[in-house]
Amino acid sequence: MRMNTIGLTIGILFGALLAGAQLHEYDTIHAMLRLQEADIYFLMASAIAVSAPLLWLLERRNHQTPLGGRISLSRSMPQRHHVKGGALFGVGWAIAGTCPAPALVMLSSGAFLGVIAMAGIFLGLHLNTTRANQAAPSGDGEHRELVTVA
Amino acid sequence: MFDLLPARIPWYVVGPGLGLLIVALFAIANQPLGASGAYIQTSGLLRRGRDVAVWRVWYFAGMIGGGLLVTRVLTADGPGVRSGYDSLRDAFPLWAVVPLVFGGATILGYGAGLAGGCTSGHGLCGTAQRSPASATVTLTFLSTAIATTFALHVATGGSL
Repeated sequence: MRMNTIGLTIGILFGALLAGAQLHEYDTIHAMLRLQEADIYFLMASAIAVSAPLLWLLERRNHQTPLGGRISLSRSMPQRHHVKGGALFGVGWAIAGTCPAPALVMLSSGAFLGVIAMAGIFLGLHLNTTRANQAAPSGDGEHRELVTVA
Repeated sequence: MFDLLPARIPWYVVGPGLGLLIVALFAIANQPLGASGAYIQTSGLLRRGRDVAVWRVWYFAGMIGGGLLVTRVLTADGPGVRSGYDSLRDAFPLWAVVPLVFGGATILGYGAGLAGGCTSGHGLCGTAQRSPASATVTLTFLSTAIATTFALHVATGGSL
């Protein structure tokens, strides 16, 4: 129950930040990938620059999370499916000019093509899940079933 | 509704803000922040599957709500409904844009599933955990996305 509230809150903040940076606009992503504008690269780099050291510190201090036990970051070695999946993801990202979270914000901004993008993402994820014939993976770098490096 | 926000909040506010969200979700619940997982859990719930992480469905709804808040409530009123994809619409008629967007989105969804994450899950959260797999996925998708964008630029005679 508390986890649902936290999920909703984090989701609202996440969607709001993406919308604030205009990441739901095709033109923003296209200008980034055409290398006409560096803002979104700086955005991604600064997100990592802020979170990586704080996560490192939490891990080092064996932080006990209120809802999920001791903090456990995942570090797995790249495998073939990471490269294949990443390559396909990039091609689709460039064509559709959006990715899973911004597509939802595109929808809420009133852009009706956001529905088409969202439907395609659902279909693509579903096709992969049926192909893999596995219980739905959690996605999101939650690759905890894979080989972990020390 | 209200005209409270600039047209675009600068990267040096949004980027660190996203970084703090990643840290918050780990610090509170030991969970990675991502988006494709939320799609998987949401379709799982719609298909009444078992073992659905319901909080990720709330999180999915939250992203839509947060988008509404910024684009419709805190920003001055724009057009009610529009198509989106401004420069793609300039380059192609709508009947071509729809299958392009749908096809592209299907490919990226499939790729995100295969890679186990997307721009947020691997690109931000996985890389921030110093996962070699996430860094590999991120460098791979950035490379193919830039290459595809330039290929489209050439193929459309420079109109895209």
